[in-house]
Amino acid sequence: MTLSNEKIVEVSDVSLAYRRTRHRVSSLKQTAIDTIKRRMAYEQFFALNGVSFDIARGETVSIIGRNGAGKSTMLKVVARVLPPTSGRVIVRGHVAPMIELGAGFNPELTAAENIMLYGTLLGRTPKQMQARIEAIADWAGLSEHLDIPLRAYSSGMTARLAFATATDVTPDLLLIDEILSVGDEDFREKSAARTIEMMNSGAAVLLVSHDLEAVKSMSSRAIYLEHGKPKAFGTPTDVIDQYLGDVHH
Amino acid sequence: MPELQVYDSAVPLRPVISQLQAIYQNRGLLRLLIARDLTVRYKRSVIGVWWSLLNPLFTTAVMFYVFNTVFKSRLPNGEAFLPYLLSGVLLMTLFNQGMTMGADAVASGAGVLTKVYVRPEIFAASAAISSAINFFIGLIPMTVVLLISGETPTIKFPLVFIVVGCMVMFAMGLALMLAIAYINFDDSRSLITIFLMALQYMTPVFYPISVLGPHTRRVILLNPLTSYLQVFRDVFGGNAQATFHEWLMMGGSALVVFALGLYVFMKQWPKVVAKL
Repeated sequence: MTLSNEKIVEVSDVSLAYRRTRHRVSSLKQTAIDTIKRRMAYEQFFALNGVSFDIARGETVSIIGRNGAGKSTMLKVVARVLPPTSGRVIVRGHVAPMIELGAGFNPELTAAENIMLYGTLLGRTPKQMQARIEAIADWAGLSEHLDIPLRAYSSGMTARLAFATATDVTPDLLLIDEILSVGDEDFREKSAARTIEMMNSGAAVLLVSHDLEAVKSMSSRAIYLEHGKPKAFGTPTDVIDQYLGDVHH
Repeated sequence: MPELQVYDSAVPLRPVISQLQAIYQNRGLLRLLIARDLTVRYKRSVIGVWWSLLNPLFTTAVMFYVFNTVFKSRLPNGEAFLPYLLSGVLLMTLFNQGMTMGADAVASGAGVLTKVYVRPEIFAASAAISSAINFFIGLIPMTVVLLISGETPTIKFPLVFIVVGCMVMFAMGLALMLAIAYINFDDSRSLITIFLMALQYMTPVFYPISVLGPHTRRVILLNPLTSYLQVFRDVFGGNAQATFHEWLMMGGSALVVFALGLYVFMKQWPKVVAKL
């Protein structure tokens, strides 16, 4: 069943457009005024425009581009958080989104309760999480602080807990928004090593990064996005060259 | 591991059905969210669970102090005023809390909802259900007040669960529509506050319907919240007589608003999520 060329992600001609107000704030008052004056208050904004690619099991595809080019938006579309306006996205299997870790962490809950809640939000069952609490805390080096509310944690400890929880899976698809290394020097190495290990575990990987060296060494293909449009797609070396050419212009 | 999950953006969600399925499939998450809502609310306060009752009990005390002279502690039909008042305040607290907390949980859920895939309806459900649990805790002082007033809970009191179930659906449906408004318009919150205050006065919380003139009475009876209140008072303390029409109004408004809220939310959410 697990063919090596099995497609985990298929993205075909995906666009994401939303109406953006001309004014900085959107209020009922302003909308009413605009309606009466028959003024178009909205403009269509394309965050993504006709993007297509696929990722096979075990393959790493990278997205590069300037800030605001739509890289993180693409990641969120594959993560199912943002529904595409047109086009089609198919994702098969369990997804581990490593996008701004620690979503839903609550300072009033204990570390153990936060592990449960965060893991469940990430699509695992409470039963699975219950069985993993000890191991997760142990890996993060926080076993002795499990029953302490998170508000007593330092930001480094919180980051370790989030990373340990988010990466305690064998996903079919790994979504990475910059390769994270969190905490102190020791943990930094440990977390980077775990990320690489996950990437090499046979999962499909979609990587968004500004670290072009990492993109070159880790991915088999790369996409260069500009203003939401795919400007180049192919081997990382070619795509990076084109990107750098544009940047230096 | 369960069977391979497949996400296909081309497969449309079925309104209401897909959403209810999602809530059911994520009931483990729902339970954790309810536990979180309750824990966070109580953990910091010394008096714990009773903290949630402070607001309705204090409101009731003030209203009782003010209106007791007007209604002479007995309503025209002979019912005791204090349990009548407290039941109204408790149920309106459930409504307000369930609706505004649910809308807030979704509208300010950017930290979670734009990072991981989870149906936002689950957050609204958790807010409504944890408000319902608060309400049930409130039935303890409610019973005490009833007994002090020389009345007893009626044999019909298990029907309270139906009232609460309906209110949870009603509040959740409104919460989902409200969340969309919150995200679309920055000034909608203040408008809602005004609207809620008006609604509060249009609901017979602290006055009996019988004191109203025929025209006003008709308007008040058109307010669906009136039916929830009347039914609750009828089944819990026998402090009102609910008609069949009011039962129908309660059940009907719960189903319609719940389904409408889910439907509107499903259609609108993809358009607003990028704004979060």
